Amino acid sequence: MYDAPSPANRYSSAGMLQASGRSDQRRRSLSAALLALGLIIFPFVGSPFALDLASQVFLASIGSLSLMLLTGFAGQISIGHAGLIAAGAYVVGIMSREWQAPFWLTLPSAAIAGALLGAAFGVPSLRLRGLYLAVSTLALYFIVIYAGGEYEAWRGYATGIMIDSPKVAGMEISSGFAWYFILLAAAVMTLVLCINLLRSRTGRAWGAIRTRETVAEALGINIAKFKLWAFVISSAITAVAGALFAYDRNFVSAEAFSLYLSIQYVAMIIIGGMGSLPGAILGATFVTLFPYAIESAIGMLPDADRYVNALYAMNYAAFGLVTIAFLLFEPRGLIGIWRRLQGHISLRRRKAKPLSGPPQ
Amino acid sequence: MLRLLLTVALVVAFVRSASAAEDTYVVGMTAGLTGPTASTFAPVAEAMRIYFDRVNAAGGINGKPVKSIILDDQAEPQKAAANVKQLLTWNNAILLIDSSLSSTFAPVIGEARRADVPLLFIGSVCPKEVYPPADRGQYCTTAFASNFDSRATLTFIKGTSQDPAQIGFAGATIPVSRAEIDFAEKLATDMGMTAVDKELVPPTTADFTPFATKLVAAKPTWVYAWAAWVIQVQLFQAMRRLGWDGNFIGWAHQEAEDELKRLKDPHLYVIGANALFQEHLPIQKQIEDAAAEASSRYPADQMSEGWIGSMMIEAALQQAGWPANAAKVEESLQNLKVDMKGMRAAPMEWTRANHFRVHQSYRVYNWDAAKGEIVTAKEGLDYEIK
Amino acid sequence: MQLIVNMLVLSSIYALISCGYVLIYRVSRVMNLAQGELMMLGAYLLLTTASLFHGNPEMAIIAAVVLSTTCGVLVYVLLMRKMTGESVLAAVLATIALGILLRGLMVLIWSAQQQYPGQPLGLNSTAIALPGGARISTFAAALVIVNALTYAALFGFLRFGRWGLRMRAAGQNPLLAAQRGINLHAIYALTWALSTMTGAMAGMLIALDSGLTSNLAVLGLKAFPAALVGGLDSLLGTLIGSLIVAAAEILSIQYVDPLLSDVMPFLVLLAMLIVRPWGLFGTREELDRV
Repeated sequence: MYDAPSPANRYSSAGMLQASGRSDQRRRSLSAALLALGLIIFPFVGSPFALDLASQVFLASIGSLSLMLLTGFAGQISIGHAGLIAAGAYVVGIMSREWQAPFWLTLPSAAIAGALLGAAFGVPSLRLRGLYLAVSTLALYFIVIYAGGEYEAWRGYATGIMIDSPKVAGMEISSGFAWYFILLAAAVMTLVLCINLLRSRTGRAWGAIRTRETVAEALGINIAKFKLWAFVISSAITAVAGALFAYDRNFVSAEAFSLYLSIQYVAMIIIGGMGSLPGAILGATFVTLFPYAIESAIGMLPDADRYVNALYAMNYAAFGLVTIAFLLFEPRGLIGIWRRLQGHISLRRRKAKPLSGPPQ
Repeated sequence: MLRLLLTVALVVAFVRSASAAEDTYVVGMTAGLTGPTASTFAPVAEAMRIYFDRVNAAGGINGKPVKSIILDDQAEPQKAAANVKQLLTWNNAILLIDSSLSSTFAPVIGEARRADVPLLFIGSVCPKEVYPPADRGQYCTTAFASNFDSRATLTFIKGTSQDPAQIGFAGATIPVSRAEIDFAEKLATDMGMTAVDKELVPPTTADFTPFATKLVAAKPTWVYAWAAWVIQVQLFQAMRRLGWDGNFIGWAHQEAEDELKRLKDPHLYVIGANALFQEHLPIQKQIEDAAAEASSRYPADQMSEGWIGSMMIEAALQQAGWPANAAKVEESLQNLKVDMKGMRAAPMEWTRANHFRVHQSYRVYNWDAAKGEIVTAKEGLDYEIK
Repeated sequence: MQLIVNMLVLSSIYALISCGYVLIYRVSRVMNLAQGELMMLGAYLLLTTASLFHGNPEMAIIAAVVLSTTCGVLVYVLLMRKMTGESVLAAVLATIALGILLRGLMVLIWSAQQQYPGQPLGLNSTAIALPGGARISTFAAALVIVNALTYAALFGFLRFGRWGLRMRAAGQNPLLAAQRGINLHAIYALTWALSTMTGAMAGMLIALDSGLTSNLAVLGLKAFPAALVGGLDSLLGTLIGSLIVAAAEILSIQYVDPLLSDVMPFLVLLAMLIVRPWGLFGTREELDRV
């Protein structure tokens, strides 16, 4: 199921045809507009806690979209995602502490750093077929964390690097409100970038590579080059996510980036649904909200206090279980479930009634 | 249509307002309950939970119950910040506690400052802002104190050792531990002793033998380690296995008491500010009973830190009166003196300028093979924190 | 001399854990990224059997080994078997998720405190004096011996054993092997059993030597470069790879910078990927030109 491109994939021509019904399009734009409206109104009506949660979801979406590009579309596993996030965060930390660099310098620098790391770790491993990139990314993670820790020790930051919020026209941006919109904009931009990439020649090449590498090669696609390209772009985007992460938390420290973070991103794309951009966002939402859901669920049990100590472990276990469940039973992920539901409902409406003329 | 409905549902779901202010004192804690630091901080949280269960059972403070909300941050700064945000905005806590790794401090301090709610560190490293002149809003009950720990330890070594001591130093690559060991190394030389070697161990090390090899090769008569207990004890055992039979002194973490009993090595010393349960103080019996009653998963003798912190919280809330808010609690904390009933040698005292404590006193313990129990090797290493 | 002893011990740790990686990769082309957690599971199971068979170390160890092997088979039957039709990507992702699940379960069942399985069994790690003034602890010595025996047994089994031959066949060409009448599911189950068993033994010995923390699984990741350097489908390669990685790590602690020791295995790995990606003894893979 991971090999064949799903016919409902919006980015294939078959998918495009499916969406071309006029009423379909109108319905789609209406709900898209409503979603946009909802997202914009939300910070005015929601609690600060929910606001922060939503911001976290947007930030996670950037990372999961980039991983989806790499793994879901180009078919390469990476378990060093946390290393790239850390790299982006450290670029911001180092540049803003050493040279007081403003954000419009640090963010692009983070992207460049990510791209360089992607190239450095991608070249050795992407020449090969198979899982060598996964291994390389693991090395990337450990090396970045080590380098970051060394920098912190060298500079004497016992508890991590503190970063000031970015300043625009002299005003510091640090309120939850402002960050909600910034992160929302960043997520939307990333989504648009990904959509464009997938529509381009590069995107089609990735699809071909993911489906059947040998056939792709026979078609004349330079496998290694496109795989490397996927990794470099994905790494650049992820590093920018890391940079935003640093600004959001005003803080960078080696301990903030565990291997578990990498695994969470992998889970996001599994749960969301491989090969689907909306799936990446759904997956990011699910994984970000999941621990809070578990906490509430346990809070409803009698004598909940006693379980607080085991919460982390329960989170872990539940998380692993859910990911496995999706892998086994719902390989198309949340987006697959969504499309199935959609299908059920739209089919019901379209069921031909023999005596009432052609279907609407 | 479906999409529309779902969007509306999502928006409505999030518009639920925060929980209404209740008739209780709300205290919120973010702790590294799980993850690599669990064995340090989980007993602290457990102690606080048991403590306030008892306080509430006895009628609460000023007649009102205390709601202590404990959230796990897995020693991750991001999660700690999210926890604190939740505690402040959702639960309306008037006092915050951070019992987690020092990497969680920056974001938590930032949040607490923005909301103007006092922040107490229990069991975690005391940030330098609590030492005089203290930063408004940060307090610490944790036993260990940077620089003073090493001073006391080196004084002890100098006093106990017949010949001039040759000291080996060991710490973890975590900046806090590293800084302390660097300080100790320099201080030792200033005090007229010789520093023969210094080893820094990455926390994820599987096998301590290579580091122990280097230390043993330098032939120290004393080794001083200031790091997490796991690192201290593993290094000690590795050195013993290599045939080294010198004296080893490390910080008395919560696990120290049980480990001294397990290892039964008369040349293993631990230095700390908390009384070990070996002293059989009445309050320690109280803790043991409470832990047994609550069927706690953690041994009572690891709950000193949490209990001491909780005692300070209770006193502060008592003094703040009712109705209480964050500002009143802050006022109360800045003028607090609580008798520790023997768990600490001096009463815990906070003033406007000193949020660490006015007096810090150390005791050294080791195993006495003849008596078959832990004994006090030295006490009364007192320092006034100015 | 002590340095050589240390290198031998560390390489045995890595080798014993890595032979699990190699077995599974060779037979099914899957990277089992849950090996670290499975190894930790073995150590925790020993903790349980130790308190059950108080004072009877042989029974406790044997029971723990049997239990771990059963767990390995269960992992295959309940999870990996269902992944056999899917792409390798899915299977690896499944092992990652499994690792998470196991970690959570282990902390739930046994708590995150540091434990000493050797205590209830009355087993203490003492030192043995070796020529040249070096010393080695009893369990470290046991590790070295067990590692050597395991590799010898595996070599023999794969080369001469009936099922060993079948395993190699399944690894080389599953389709042909199946058509030849080899029960692939049984082979895979056997592979997982062996891999978990060797990993569990490593975990148990490490725990007996220096205690058991909930962070033991990270060792599984550090051992991974050893397998890769030697060649992910070569047992001999893994043995030599472990020696190289362990030597690099210990020498860097002694002469360069102790802080580097954590990253050293991965630096070696990276170097290997650039120079000879399929490892010293692995099957040569086709290189695409970038």
